[in-house]
Amino acid sequence: MTTNEEKKKRTEMLVEMRKERRETVQRAQELLKAQQSARKALERALTGGPHSVPQLAQAVNMPAHEALWHIAAMKKYGIVAEAGTDESGDYYLYRLVKEA
Amino acid sequence: MSTNQIKVDALVVGGGISGMQTALDLGDQGYKVAVVERKSSIGGKMIDLSKVFPTLDCCSCITTPKMSATAHHDNITLLTYSEIESINRDGNGFKVQATKKPRYVREDDCTGCRSCELVCPLEVSEDEHEFGRTSHRVVYVPFSTAVPQKALVDLDHCLFCGKCIQACPSDAIDFTQQPEPVEIETRSIVLATGFETTPINAKKEYGAGKLRNVISGMMMERLLAPTGPYGRVLRPSDGKMPASIAYVQCAGSRDQTLGVPYCSRVCCMYAIKQAMLLSGALPLAEITIYYMDIRTFGKGYEQFYQNAKAMGVEFLKGKVARITEDENQNPIVRVELIDEFGKTRVTERQHDLVVLSVGLLPGGNPQPKFGVPVGEDGFVQVPDYNVFPAVTSQPGIFVTGAAAGPMDIVDSIMMAGAAASSAASYLEAGNGSRKEAQRQPERSVEYA
Ligand SMILES: Cc1cc2nc3c(=O)[nH]c(=O)nc-3n(C[C@H](O)[C@H](O)[C@H](O)COP(=O)(O)OP(=O)(O)OC[C@H]3O[C@@H](n4cnc5c(N)ncnc54)[C@H](O)[C@@H]3O)c2cc1C
Ligand code: SF4
Ligand code: SF4
Repeated sequence: MTTNEEKKKRTEMLVEMRKERRETVQRAQELLKAQQSARKALERALTGGPHSVPQLAQAVNMPAHEALWHIAAMKKYGIVAEAGTDESGDYYLYRLVKEA
Repeated sequence: MSTNQIKVDALVVGGGISGMQTALDLGDQGYKVAVVERKSSIGGKMIDLSKVFPTLDCCSCITTPKMSATAHHDNITLLTYSEIESINRDGNGFKVQATKKPRYVREDDCTGCRSCELVCPLEVSEDEHEFGRTSHRVVYVPFSTAVPQKALVDLDHCLFCGKCIQACPSDAIDFTQQPEPVEIETRSIVLATGFETTPINAKKEYGAGKLRNVISGMMMERLLAPTGPYGRVLRPSDGKMPASIAYVQCAGSRDQTLGVPYCSRVCCMYAIKQAMLLSGALPLAEITIYYMDIRTFGKGYEQFYQNAKAMGVEFLKGKVARITEDENQNPIVRVELIDEFGKTRVTERQHDLVVLSVGLLPGGNPQPKFGVPVGEDGFVQVPDYNVFPAVTSQPGIFVTGAAAGPMDIVDSIMMAGAAASSAASYLEAGNGSRKEAQRQPERSVEYA
């Protein structure tokens, strides 16, 4: 069990680390913001039903290779899953996992 | 800070297939061995491959047991995420200074449960194994079969939000970790530092790495591996299942403009292997291999090539002059084709995806640290290759695998046997007998 004292020490350490590495933390925070907004947009598009990568790219106005990067990452962490292919048979469709 | 001390009979530098096999061969004979690997997991290039030519066995199924055997061997001490700093001859052996880089996770406490990874809010590009095609979290276990299964933190992207600390059931996260010096006293050294591949941007004629649908052979290995970034073969520009895939052979080998005059030996065979695997993964896809010569030098390799032809893979003799792309990012290959009568014809062909069969380059220059000279090709020089293929010009220092020159897995494993037996002979003859080694308890590993 973690004691209150230990918890306090840990919080202090994290504050100290954030201060020490202000620049990298700021960069990471900006990256996080951009990532969260991209993910939200993609998830919003996917609530309308399964999409292929080019369809998603168009829906959220993002280059297709970036949409693919997000989809690969979201698939890895269990947020999206494949849902068959589109009519042409050239592209896989992706759906939100929590929808299923 | 106290320095960790290790005393061994042999230090193996590099934990790829050749380094692991050398360590296992020596360890099985009773020698104490330390393996130093610079990456966070052992396995080398082989753990990233899909299947192996010419048997098409699953690569991970062969490599993972070796990784595990290396990590759990009583006579082997494994140092991952570690660098060799300096080497000094010390009487009959060597004093080696190494550094264990901080994982910001205490290895002894981490169980690899990934609870930290699942709560970490930020993802960054997975560059080490997946060429930036997918992500990992800021704290992550490198891959599902990594050995050791231990997390590490990419401190340059950390938010210091503390979520991982809260989630870790083993209290293993430690942001105060510092580089740890390790002193290794060893009687012999085996270099197993492997190779790198020609960078994808090496040739401007082939798009200088800017064309999204022109990828390297190693990237294709990942697309073909079930554990790869997409779990299937999709092209990087837009996720399309490619219907037409082309290979450009000798893309970085036998090329004076790149200063690589030699043949990289494995590229013909890995291209043929990938073509066969693609025929299985994408049965409707057309696969073309543009080549100048096909070199199938090993046991069963020529038959493998003939099988690929019989499966419908198109082999076109010709020299690819240039690769460009159209407005849909489809690569256009400009090639001078050579027919069976030697007549040439220049043509342009459009594909969905092009794979450069990149060559094998030396992994690094061991001269400054190890005093071992390299040959004209940049690989470790072996003065008497025909007779002593694993013996370098430095007494007590041996070499194995692709550190000595381009070679496939079979040859790397055989050379590991040669390196282990050369090292064992050296230990027996010049540096006290093995019986003595067994009698002296102080020769055993001391890692405290
Ligand atoms: C695209 C592709 C496909 C291939 N397919 C096949 C196939 O199907 N069948 C086949 O037989 N062969 C294949 N090969 C060849 C195969 O990858 C090599 O034969 C094999 O990986 C060589 O193993 P190695 O241990 O010598 O080197 P590596 O696998 O390169 O391992 C070297 C290790 O040493 C570490 N290291 C390097 N420098 C240092 C240092 N200074 N300190 C500490 N550690 C260090 C590296 O991180 C790495 O882990 C393929 C190669 C490529 C490029
Ligand atoms: S402290 Fe860093 S590694 Fe841990 S969860 Fe936060 S961002 Fe991820
Ligand atoms: S650091 Fe903790 S939470 Fe992360 S994998 Fe290791 S034991 Fe699990």
